[in-house]
Amino acid sequence: MINFPEKKIFEEVDNWIKNNKKVSLATVIQTWGSSPLGIGSRMVVNEDGNFLGSVSGGCIEAKVVEECISLMKNKKICKKIDFNVSNENAWEIGLACGGDISIYIEEIKQ
Amino acid sequence: MKIETIRQTLKNKSLKKEFALLTNLTNGESEIFFPGNNLSGMFSKYSEEIEKIFNLNKSGIIENSEIFVQTYKNPIKVIVVGAVDISIYLIDFAKNLNFEIIIIDPRGYFASKDKFPDTKIINKWPNEAFDEIETNSKTALVTLTHDSKIDDPALQYALKNKFFYIGALGSKKTHEKRCSRLMEAGFKKIELEKINGPIGIKLGGKSPSEIALSIISQLVSEKYKN
Repeated sequence: MINFPEKKIFEEVDNWIKNNKKVSLATVIQTWGSSPLGIGSRMVVNEDGNFLGSVSGGCIEAKVVEECISLMKNKKICKKIDFNVSNENAWEIGLACGGDISIYIEEIKQ
Repeated sequence: MKIETIRQTLKNKSLKKEFALLTNLTNGESEIFFPGNNLSGMFSKYSEEIEKIFNLNKSGIIENSEIFVQTYKNPIKVIVVGAVDISIYLIDFAKNLNFEIIIIDPRGYFASKDKFPDTKIINKWPNEAFDEIETNSKTALVTLTHDSKIDDPALQYALKNKFFYIGALGSKKTHEKRCSRLMEAGFKKIELEKINGPIGIKLGGKSPSEIALSIISQLVSEKYKN
């Protein structure tokens, strides 16, 4: 059996949904410079803040989890979030690699 | 994205289908693209561009649009000749590196199902075994038996069919002997340069798992060369 990169996280999404949890999917949709993970890297977050997968080398995951939870709370459909080193948040968030990435978050619909 | 799309993606992957997962970034709508099939709504406007990205095996946003395409192609097929210890570790590594391993070994006592669960094993001589495997220029061959009766016919097949990677286990000396045999069989010296012999990148390890690591590393490195 071969595990394609998103296999485990998609199976987890299915589990969470079956257990009536709200779930969001985060995807790297664009990168510039030396981003840690490539386009198409994915991460899933449920309403309790549990997550699986990654969209960077661990630099921005906490922020993405926070954004996903707030998306689900506010009943929004989707949101694009840009992370880059030149903005002031960068130190806080810590995208130390020097790249810019664009993350798309969306709630999984039944 | 709908949960149904995620379930479909898992299903299509297990059925070894090739497709792309499309997302309309403005509203989160999603659809699965299969080459040759028609798309609906907003996605149909970008059919050509979607097909282009898919054919290039790339993922990304279509220029001047809000359509994100994630391409899912089948993993590279790696044909391993020899159901030996190294093969067990190769399968282990390959599982999470997106390679599909098929084992050929005519020696039934080597290639038991217990040793290789979940792996396709063909208990035949290479020439017969290749009739059962679809191969193309994206296929890779790794020969591990050390036995020229088994390894050589597989190498000849891979050379003739222009496999993307060919590697043969054995020392430099063994490889020289192998090359002279293949030249006697009619292959030119330049063609034989395609064979990575000794196989793998130089890590220095000698145990079966370390050799498997050096082979899989070479496969990953070759995969990203083009």
